[in-house]
Amino acid sequence: MSQPPRASSDLELMEHADGEHADGERARADVAARLEGDPDARAKVEAIRQMGELVRGHLELAADAVHDAKFAAMWRRIDDQLEAPTTGLWSRMARWFDRYRSHVITGAVSAGAVAALALILRPSAPDMGTQGRGGAAIDVRPVALRATPEIDALDTPGGTSTVINLDDEDGHTTVIWVTPADTVEGI
Amino acid sequence: MLGAQRGDRDAFKTLFERYHRRAYALAFGVLRHPDDAMDVVQDAFIKAHKYLDKFEGNSSFYTWLYRIVMNLAIDHLRKHRRAKPVELDETRIDNDGDDPLLPRILGGNPGRALVDKQIRGRIDQALDELSENHRAVLVMRELEGLSYEDMAQAMSCSKGTIMSRLFHARRNMQKRLLDLVDNPSAELVADLTGGGTGDDAPANDEAPVRSAPAARSRP
Repeated sequence: MSQPPRASSDLELMEHADGEHADGERARADVAARLEGDPDARAKVEAIRQMGELVRGHLELAADAVHDAKFAAMWRRIDDQLEAPTTGLWSRMARWFDRYRSHVITGAVSAGAVAALALILRPSAPDMGTQGRGGAAIDVRPVALRATPEIDALDTPGGTSTVINLDDEDGHTTVIWVTPADTVEGI
Repeated sequence: MLGAQRGDRDAFKTLFERYHRRAYALAFGVLRHPDDAMDVVQDAFIKAHKYLDKFEGNSSFYTWLYRIVMNLAIDHLRKHRRAKPVELDETRIDNDGDDPLLPRILGGNPGRALVDKQIRGRIDQALDELSENHRAVLVMRELEGLSYEDMAQAMSCSKGTIMSRLFHARRNMQKRLLDLVDNPSAELVADLTGGGTGDDAPANDEAPVRSAPAARSRP
């Protein structure tokens, strides 16, 4: 006793209507055989095909309904924007240059300006007199400038002064404390 | 085609005249806005001309053109995405669920049904109500006959997603058009059966477009 053939799924029916069986010719033949004894499935396949005809026909009629004048105007706009097609390397380069002419010129001018600035602002040539024999730079600053000046005492006529030098993790700090001899209140 | 590639504008104009309405039908089907569709078609021809020298002739000019139209239309949708509910069934297919394809046929002769303004208005409405992804797949399939694989490439998604979108697009279209089958207006019935009250029926419309939907024989 043979089993009744299984019903085709809606997805299989859609693939069948579209001629898109994932499993090829054999699957197509299977579905076709099942459709023979399944009027409901046949109606579904037919409904898919007719839906397709409706949509296609409707859109084609919509396109036909557009007035010729609109497409004529469209062609004029297209024609205005057409460029002559070119094939050679030089003509392609010429087209590229034509299209980006302003960008190319702006880029070249900008690059020139940057190069000129770089020449002007670069550090001046090293003084040969400051070079040692081995090429190492010699520090030519006055000796007084090489170290931080330190204040030990301050001459304050008419008063006394105290100088305190502090060294801590923040570096060197000098505190100067000045006390006038005769402080007059109000002055 | 060769003439157009050599720079002959008249040859390119011939290509335009041959394919502009077909390209428009595709763009309009996807975008649903006449002006947007015109812009996309115009841009597509300009782009096609610009890259004519890259067209190698492995496919027909129209196959090449419709890919450009489709890419521009999809780009347009992405850039001008209007608020639209996301279809939750995007990647799921209910083969045996409670929402199957309908064994309904909208008239025995779709070509004849299209002469009716009411039916065409409802098709417009139904297409408008589809999500953009569902509509794009439906239009690519029904208008251009693209394979699932080609559509997957065009929309940068998997073949399974395309099948799901197409399945739901068709089922949703059926559901939205169903009342035309089940509860047609008296005026529509008169039109479609040659009753004579409608202005839309052509004068030589002798045979009834349909009597009752064939699928009504469903047990």
